[in-house]
Amino acid sequence: MTPFELAEPTSLKEAIKLLDPDDPTIRPVGGGTALMLMMKAGVFKPVKLISLRRIENSYSTIAATGDGLRIGAMTTLAALERSADVKKAAPLITRTLKTLSNIRVRNVATVGGALAHGDPHMDLPPVLMALGATLTVMGPKGERKLAVEDLFAGYYETVLDKDELIAEAHVPAHGTKKAAYMKVTTGSADDWPALGVAVVLEGDAGGIKSARIVASAATDKATRLKSAEAALIGGKVDDTLLAKVGDAAADEAEYIADVRGSISYKRELMRVYVRRAVRAALEGAK
Amino acid sequence: MSATKTISFTLNGAPVTADVKPHHNLVELLQGQFGLTGARETCGQGLCGCCTVIVDGLAVSGCLYLAAFLNDGAEVSTVEGLDTPAKLSPVQEAFVETAAFQCGYCTPGFILMVGQLLDEHPDPDDDQIKHYLTGNLCRCATYPQVMEAVRLAAKKRKAGAAA
Repeated sequence: MTPFELAEPTSLKEAIKLLDPDDPTIRPVGGGTALMLMMKAGVFKPVKLISLRRIENSYSTIAATGDGLRIGAMTTLAALERSADVKKAAPLITRTLKTLSNIRVRNVATVGGALAHGDPHMDLPPVLMALGATLTVMGPKGERKLAVEDLFAGYYETVLDKDELIAEAHVPAHGTKKAAYMKVTTGSADDWPALGVAVVLEGDAGGIKSARIVASAATDKATRLKSAEAALIGGKVDDTLLAKVGDAAADEAEYIADVRGSISYKRELMRVYVRRAVRAALEGAK
Repeated sequence: MSATKTISFTLNGAPVTADVKPHHNLVELLQGQFGLTGARETCGQGLCGCCTVIVDGLAVSGCLYLAAFLNDGAEVSTVEGLDTPAKLSPVQEAFVETAAFQCGYCTPGFILMVGQLLDEHPDPDDDQIKHYLTGNLCRCATYPQVMEAVRLAAKKRKAGAAA
């Protein structure tokens, strides 16, 4: 990697001051596992990195709140995976983490980084989006709330300003909702996915009252599939209805082709896996 | 230009001090300043496990971990710290006895990850072993022997604890 400077502020406020809204060569770094790949490939050559690893410890903690979870953005994915509070309030997250990259990466990578990086292949964004999670974002003018659903602007792009940082994620508890995340890896089992589908449903096989269906990896950003959701609501969930839901999802999504599959291949994956994910959610996860 | 930072930490049990450049990763620090080559940068993407290093009790990919991330007082362990001149660690013994390697290139990473696995699950089932070692690749494909080595290492550790 080419040389750069490293600043290590000890507070979130100080970190925000060190960022520059107009300078893309200055970037924040959390665990660094994703950013390092870009730097090694020479895609990103920073002049200065602002490490968030020494900011207040409260941003690395998880707390159960009345209606769900508050997760500090610097919480590692391993801490999230092992949290009893997370397993109780949002077991979909716990299940998702088991197949997210590998243990070494999870030991270092952070929740905030998984979101702010804007990489459509990551597993946590579609899951948090399907769960209806919101973020607290801090910037020079103070804080604002942002739904994870509204975070992504495109391929590796978010709506965050360059001097804004994700401080916390707020995840509503599942309650009686049924949830599943399925991913398709077309290379090795632990490769980045060709498709990720997260589904959170209210209701049962007799009729779905509300649904959030989110696709990622096959698309340029994690995306809610609202026509598939609409197709699912109301009727008895049988093969005919699921076929309609799968078709709606396949038609609605906008695909990107890459080494993990062509557009037409991913469209068929979508058709099949949205059906499977709905079924998995209704059947309940192990 | 990038400023060097001095970090004092513990390396395989011994106190050390290193001058760290911001753009160096942990593998570069261990190889360049301490001559430790057990952790090797191989895939360079955190996928293969050859660069595994234990930092404050947790396995990290040394190729993706900036050396400057080490805190003063951090505890860093590598494969070189597992054995004494007289005795291999139980996991190392198990790998030798089951011939769980061919070329041996990936072995340090496997051995460190198996140590972590057995710390968390002293009596792991096959699913737990596979889950833990998902991020370690052996191009000689000694995976069946590695599974055997983990089971043997678990027995050896228990026997050691009982003795």
